[in-house]
Amino acid sequence: MKKPAVPLILNDFEKQEKEVATNLGMPNFRIQYFRGPVWGKTREQLRKQIIQGNNPISGKPVMTELVGLLTKPLTAEEQKTGEIQRDLGPRTYTGTHDELQKLFLEKRYTDFLPVVLPTEDKVAEMLKFTSHRSDEVLGRMNPGSEAGETWTYTVKDAAVNAVMAGAKPEYFPVILALGSTGMTAVNVSDNGFMSGAVINGKIRDEIGLNYEEGAVGPYAHANTTIGRAWGLLSINGGNCGKVGTTYMGTIGNPMNLIGIIVAENEQRSPFAPLSVRRGFKEGENVVTLFMGWGILSAKNWAATVWGPNMNYPEIIKEIYNTQDGHLFGTCAVLSPPIANFVKDAGFDTVEKFTEWVTDLKPGAKPAARGPEINMGVRKTGGVFTVIVTGGSNNNYFSVGGMVPAQSVQIDKWR
Amino acid sequence: MKLRIALIAVLCIGLVCGVSMPGSRTYAQGNRAASTAMPKITVLNPMGTPPPITLIPQAPRLDTLDGKTIYFINTGYIGTDRLMAEMMDWFKANYPKTNLVYKDNRSGAGLSEVSKELWAEMSEKGDAAIVGLGH
Repeated sequence: MKKPAVPLILNDFEKQEKEVATNLGMPNFRIQYFRGPVWGKTREQLRKQIIQGNNPISGKPVMTELVGLLTKPLTAEEQKTGEIQRDLGPRTYTGTHDELQKLFLEKRYTDFLPVVLPTEDKVAEMLKFTSHRSDEVLGRMNPGSEAGETWTYTVKDAAVNAVMAGAKPEYFPVILALGSTGMTAVNVSDNGFMSGAVINGKIRDEIGLNYEEGAVGPYAHANTTIGRAWGLLSINGGNCGKVGTTYMGTIGNPMNLIGIIVAENEQRSPFAPLSVRRGFKEGENVVTLFMGWGILSAKNWAATVWGPNMNYPEIIKEIYNTQDGHLFGTCAVLSPPIANFVKDAGFDTVEKFTEWVTDLKPGAKPAARGPEINMGVRKTGGVFTVIVTGGSNNNYFSVGGMVPAQSVQIDKWR
Repeated sequence: MKLRIALIAVLCIGLVCGVSMPGSRTYAQGNRAASTAMPKITVLNPMGTPPPITLIPQAPRLDTLDGKTIYFINTGYIGTDRLMAEMMDWFKANYPKTNLVYKDNRSGAGLSEVSKELWAEMSEKGDAAIVGLGH
């Protein structure tokens, strides 16, 4: 509109906002900062702390500074035109193992753990497991919002990051399928979102994904390194995970390190695999991406009371009805015994169980229930998703907020 | 004489480097490892490609706020309505000749971008805008 506009932003976001403004072509964009948070405060508190307060960065009174941002003439820097040259460094680095580990750490190419150094030989070995050209653009990624730029990465970039993660070359088609979606594994949100993926099909056994005891834990090579590769590709290919600019989790989320890479236990599940329920053929190799808060043991909810008689469907339904499904719905990660309890209670398909849990006909959207909050309408429970994985050594399961996003065929990345 | 010195030197080198006593082997091996330079390797840069950045000049500023119309745009973050109400009270007290217009741009689903219609209205009727809350 070619008229002055000043955004109001908390000072904690200064580093991020400067980067965003630069990325959008206005590196010296005028922003009014003040100390937050605003949410939850009374008008009196806001008046005393912000209106009558100082910008903690400049030390100047907020309101007179704001007037200045609207009225002080622009500097030469603020009126500049042209292009900003980007320097990503050389395409290769040479040094000893220790020197390069240090360099990768300093340049923030890592997740702060040592990496397998991506030599041309190792990357070439990874690339043998796909028929796609190494210079093919695999995807475009930002950290989950306009708070970050959208970067582009190639199949070779993904191979470099897969090597760094310690992934075996046979995992590479799964990593490419993840990367092809452009969805970050490391979201910028101050809420601390995590990402996950559910893998179905024969590839689970071909590459040794764990779907028995410890299935959602980190101690399985394929699950862990695939998740780490997605995380590193997000850091390097999508410029995500940089604290202060593209990673703003107020508390953070430890699940960002390797995500949750779940292979469904199709052999022991009484239900059709998630991929089949999403329209793919039985046995087809498919990865379904998830985003959310993560999962916790169902014992975290008061609905789970251990006793001699357990009504698992009722427990799951009660948990669903206490979840805030506003953003990420309710995801139940059931071990095979729990899934079979559900089936034995008369729910021989996930669809029937979902209809009963949510009180909704298939395909219907959850109705707004519960109190309205300022950020939108709270929908109790929200989208309900069932995943079956893990061992059969006890009647345990997990629940959380994770909503399925895209499902992608893996074999087209072979 | 030179031959004798050379012989003694060779023997000394042999004593230091070649004679292995029980318990000293690891040390000797460690020394050898440390003295052997680590080989250099070449690795690939893992970064993707950022988009180009084209600089955009900022809009000219106002010479005064008197007689001007400032839009306060609430993009929906919780508490912005209260903060903007306080800001507008401050402007009313300190810049009584400035016109203030408050617009609630909340979409009902959380943070929302300023709508095209509102941008158009501000372009036509406004002189400046204060937009919040970007957290």
